[in-house]
Parts: sequence; C-alpha cells; structure tokens
Amino acid sequence: MMCAMTLVRQYARSVLSAKTLLVYSFLLGFLLYMVTPFLIIFFNSFGKGWYGMRWLPQEWTLNWYQWAIEVADIPEIMKNTLVIAGIAVVISTLIALPTGWALGRRHIPGKELLTALILLPRMIPAITFALGVAKIFYGLHLVDTFLGVALAHVALAAPYAILVLSATFESLDERVLEASAVCGASPAQGFFYVILPLILPGILSSIIFTFTTSYNEFTMTLMTYGPHTVTLPVRTYLAVGEGYWEVSSAMAVILIIPSLFILFLIQRQLQPEKLVGGFKGV
Amino acid sequence: MSDYMIEFVNVTKRYGDIVANEHITLQIKRGELMTLLGPSGCGKTTALRCLTGHNHPDEGRIFIDGQDVTDLPTYKRNLGMVFQNFALFPHMTAFENVEFPLRIRGLSQSERREKVVEALKLVRLEGYGSHFPRQLSGGQQQRIGLARALVYRPSVLLLDEPLSNLDAKLREEMRFEIKDLQVRLGITAVYVTHDQEEALALSDRVAIMNKGRIEQVGTPEEIYERPGSQFVADFIGLSNFLEGTVTAVEGETTYLAVDNLSLGLATTAGARVGQRVLAFVRPNEVELAAPGTMSGPEVLEGVVEKMTYLGDKVDYRLRLGDRLMLRVQSGGTVRFKAGERVAVRLPMERCRVIGGGKA
Repeated sequence: MMCAMTLVRQYARSVLSAKTLLVYSFLLGFLLYMVTPFLIIFFNSFGKGWYGMRWLPQEWTLNWYQWAIEVADIPEIMKNTLVIAGIAVVISTLIALPTGWALGRRHIPGKELLTALILLPRMIPAITFALGVAKIFYGLHLVDTFLGVALAHVALAAPYAILVLSATFESLDERVLEASAVCGASPAQGFFYVILPLILPGILSSIIFTFTTSYNEFTMTLMTYGPHTVTLPVRTYLAVGEGYWEVSSAMAVILIIPSLFILFLIQRQLQPEKLVGGFKGV
Repeated sequence: MSDYMIEFVNVTKRYGDIVANEHITLQIKRGELMTLLGPSGCGKTTALRCLTGHNHPDEGRIFIDGQDVTDLPTYKRNLGMVFQNFALFPHMTAFENVEFPLRIRGLSQSERREKVVEALKLVRLEGYGSHFPRQLSGGQQQRIGLARALVYRPSVLLLDEPLSNLDAKLREEMRFEIKDLQVRLGITAVYVTHDQEEALALSDRVAIMNKGRIEQVGTPEEIYERPGSQFVADFIGLSNFLEGTVTAVEGETTYLAVDNLSLGLATTAGARVGQRVLAFVRPNEVELAAPGTMSGPEVLEGVVEKMTYLGDKVDYRLRLGDRLMLRVQSGGTVRFKAGERVAVRLPMERCRVIGGGKA
C-alpha cells in the first residue's frame, strides 16, 4: 500500500516537472518570437554590411543615426509627433471626461448601443475610415495641420479614453462620497480628498492610452499628413520606400524610446493592479 | 435646551408618485438608541437620508439638538455615520480614514494623532492603523467605520444596516459591541435595520415603519407584547391571527366566533356583541395536550397537519375546525405526530385583541 502511494506521488511529480518544462519552453519560444524582430532592427540600425546569412553585422557604426538626425531631420519630426500626440490627448480627454461620466454614472437608455457606436471607429478597417476622414479634411483644409492630424487620431484614441474613464467613474462608490459629506467634507473638499485620488489612476491610464495611440498611429496619419506634419512612424515608412533600410531601422529604434519610457512609468508609478483593483470597498 | 436630540416633524418625501415618507413625526431623546425597523421599501432609509441631508423632505422640518437642519447641507450637520457596505475610503489607510474628519475640521497633527489612536483603541484595532481597507476583514472594516464615525464626537450617530454584510456570528458579537459603545459614550443613535432580532436586542425604543408611515413607536417589550396593528404583530416575531365576531360578553370572558369555532377571550373594555375583532397569539404561547385532558372556553380541538423537529423546539401546524390553521411551537420532545388529534389551549392572558378590534 505504502509502496503504491509513493509510486503515485513520484509519477505525479514527474508529470508536473514535464508540464513545467513545457510551459517554460513555450514561454521562451514566445519571447523569442516577440523579441527577434526588434533585435534585428536594433542590430541593423548599428550595423554595416549585414547581408545574406550572417549572424551579426560586419562592422558597427553610428552613421545611420547621424543620417536620421541630420539628413532626415528626426528631431523636428519627433517634435511634430509629440505635439500632435499632445493635442490628441487633450482633445480626447476633454471629450472622454463628460462622456465617460455620463456612461459610467447615469442611467442612459440605449447605453449598450451608444458604447458600440463609440467603438465603431476602432471596428472598421483603419484605411477605410482614414479615406473618409481624408476626404472630409481636404474640404475643411485640415490636411497637413497639427490639429487635423490630431483630430484624425482622436477618432481612434477617444474610444479608449471613454471606455477607461467610464469604467473608472462607474467604480466610484456613491456611499464613499456620501461618507465624506457626513464626515464634514464640503463638496470641494470631497472632490479633492476623495474623488480625485480615486479617479486619478483612471485618468492617467486614459492619457497614456490616448498618447500611445496617437504616437504610434500610422494609417490615419498617412492619409492626413503633409510636408509640415510628418510623424515618426510615417517618416520611418518613407525611409524604407526610399531604400534606406538601415536609416529607417535607426528611426524605428528612436521611435520606441518614448514607448519604453511610458512602459517604465506605468510599471513604477502607476502599479497596474491599482488601476483595476481596490475601488470596491467590500 | 430641547429634551429631544432629534425631531422629525410631519416629514413627507415623495419620489414621483411614490410616497416614501408620509407625515413622519418622531422624537428621539438625548442618549437614546432609536431603531427604525421595517421591511425593505418601508421608508426607513429615506427617513435616515432626510436626517443626513442626502434627501430633502418635500414637507415638514427636521431638528437636531433644537436646531432646524432641514435646509442645512450634510457636511454642516455634525453627524457620524456607519454604512452597510462600510464605505471606507479605499485609497486611505485605516488610520487616515479615521483621521479624515479631523483633517477636515482643521485639527493639528498632534491632536489628530492622539484622537485617532484613542478611537482605534475604542474599537480594539490599535495595531491596524497602517492597513488599507481591502486588507481588513468585514468586521474590522466596520469597526474602522465606527471609529471614523465617532472620532470627532458627533452629536448623533447614525447606523444604516451596519451588520447586514457580516456573517451571523460576527453580527451578534458586533451588536453588543455597538450597544456597549453607544451607552459608554452616551451618544444619541439612530439605527436602521430590517432585522427584528437586532432591533429588539439593541434599541431603547423602536419605530416600526410600513409603507412610508410609522406604525408604532415603543420599547422592544411594548411592541412585542402590545403590537398596535396586525402589521406589527406579524412583523415582530411569529403570530397566529384569529379574526371573528363577538357572540357574547359574560363578565371576564368574551366569546368569539372564528369560522365555526367558539373561542373565549379575556374581555377588553368596550367589547360588544356583533363587533369584528382581530386577536393574535404567539406560536410559543399555545399549549397542547392529549384530547380531553383540558377544558374551558379557551380550549379547542384540532388535528396535527404537519410536524417539524427544529432541535430546541418542535413546530406544529394544526388545523382547527374546517379551515383555521394554527402554528404552535413547543419546547422539548416530539409529543404529537402528523394526523393525531390534540387539545389546544389559547391562554386568555396571551390571546390579545389588536388595536381594540376592527369596526
């Protein structure tokens, strides 16, 4: 009897370790799949003479970065990209604050339909949507303006912001607000001491979502940009078309720097678990 | 100084066509614990919200400590409140939660610290100041809620179903704790609940509410022993109702025809032949015996329809005559089984007429 039990236990352990091994190798494979393209671009941006079946480039160089900065005027393009993203964040947030409040805290007939409509720009293929937007924007002389490109991004960014903020506002517990009033807090004190700290994480994550949406956006920009409003993703794409593979790699690496910074910010400052949990008192 | 700490004077609150509170008039004495008791939708929460200022009454006035607060915003009423779902500030530690009302009142840091420590000690959670609400159990969260409501010594403590989200054992424990604190601090308290047992155990007086109105106000004993209406008799404890017509009044005994049975009751003032009367008796007040062993005007005979063994007591459902069903609970062992005939005594002093009868 004892012997049988031991055998069963050993069998269980060996199955477990095989399972663990499988999980780890799968994770490793997935990681490689995710990271390899990035590594290739990274080496490409620093390498010279990296052709054929070579593992690594023949020579290392900073030339391509120099080209990107001096010839392709990346600092100016980065400025465009950030200004457009900034405008898109402000407009999206201004739209999403009241809309999110209404969706999250009021009883609105046809709420589900409204939510679906708000998500529509994200459901239709981007190029279809972008073509329509471009046609309108040409008529309104919004093409090749910061505002125009930002507005095109807002169509994609605002739905995110609205969803995040309506969820944030929905999770605000009415009783907690009442408790602050009973404790003696005036409406203004209640807002600053209780409401604001509770919704701030939601607002910040909404800003990050809208910023990265605009910053990364390619299709909408492609249909609305002009000589004065080239953004980094579009410039990178153009460089490939012009045949400067290594220079576009350098641009692509520059492109991800702010994204990494934001990722770091989310990890350190926001603590993702705080964004989703901890609202409900019970 | 007014004798009453809280006064509702003719308060009416409507939501559209629904009258949530209808002409509520209620006085609560200084240092008293008054419970608003009733089923859900009876208007007890609306009345409480009128008192906190979250609702504004359509008619009537509300006074706290002699001051008319009807038009005063919530935050100026100096109330302390404990909520059913605790309603702690999730982004603040237990210490900061308790400290919040003091910060609002602009107390210095050292004063705040001293008072918070004292309040946490009062609810026996000294070591838990640095915990966030989500790290505390339900009972601990409610204790923090209690500390937050008491730390600034408000003039009135309001408790809105504070124990409903706790498990049964903890509920009973907290019940005594709350009562003990309230008596120790001598604070006037308004307690809202739908749990009659809780109300009876805690209250100095109970106001029973039904359909937006107050049905009866009295001490727990008064409302249990002398319910003023069928609703109260039905809501507080278990009751058997006997409705019939007075057929004769003979000195101490009044005879009542209930269905085709004749039952003797103690005569009450003003009883007259032909009057419709509603009497009630509690299931545990009825006596059962073997048929033929008891006699008298208050003894009837019946058949056991159903017997349920409940451990500390046995629950019988009896049929008297053709239609009248009677519920009886007796302690101890099973004495009768389903289908057996029994003699049933409805003691005259326990079988009481509600509200002097119905016209």
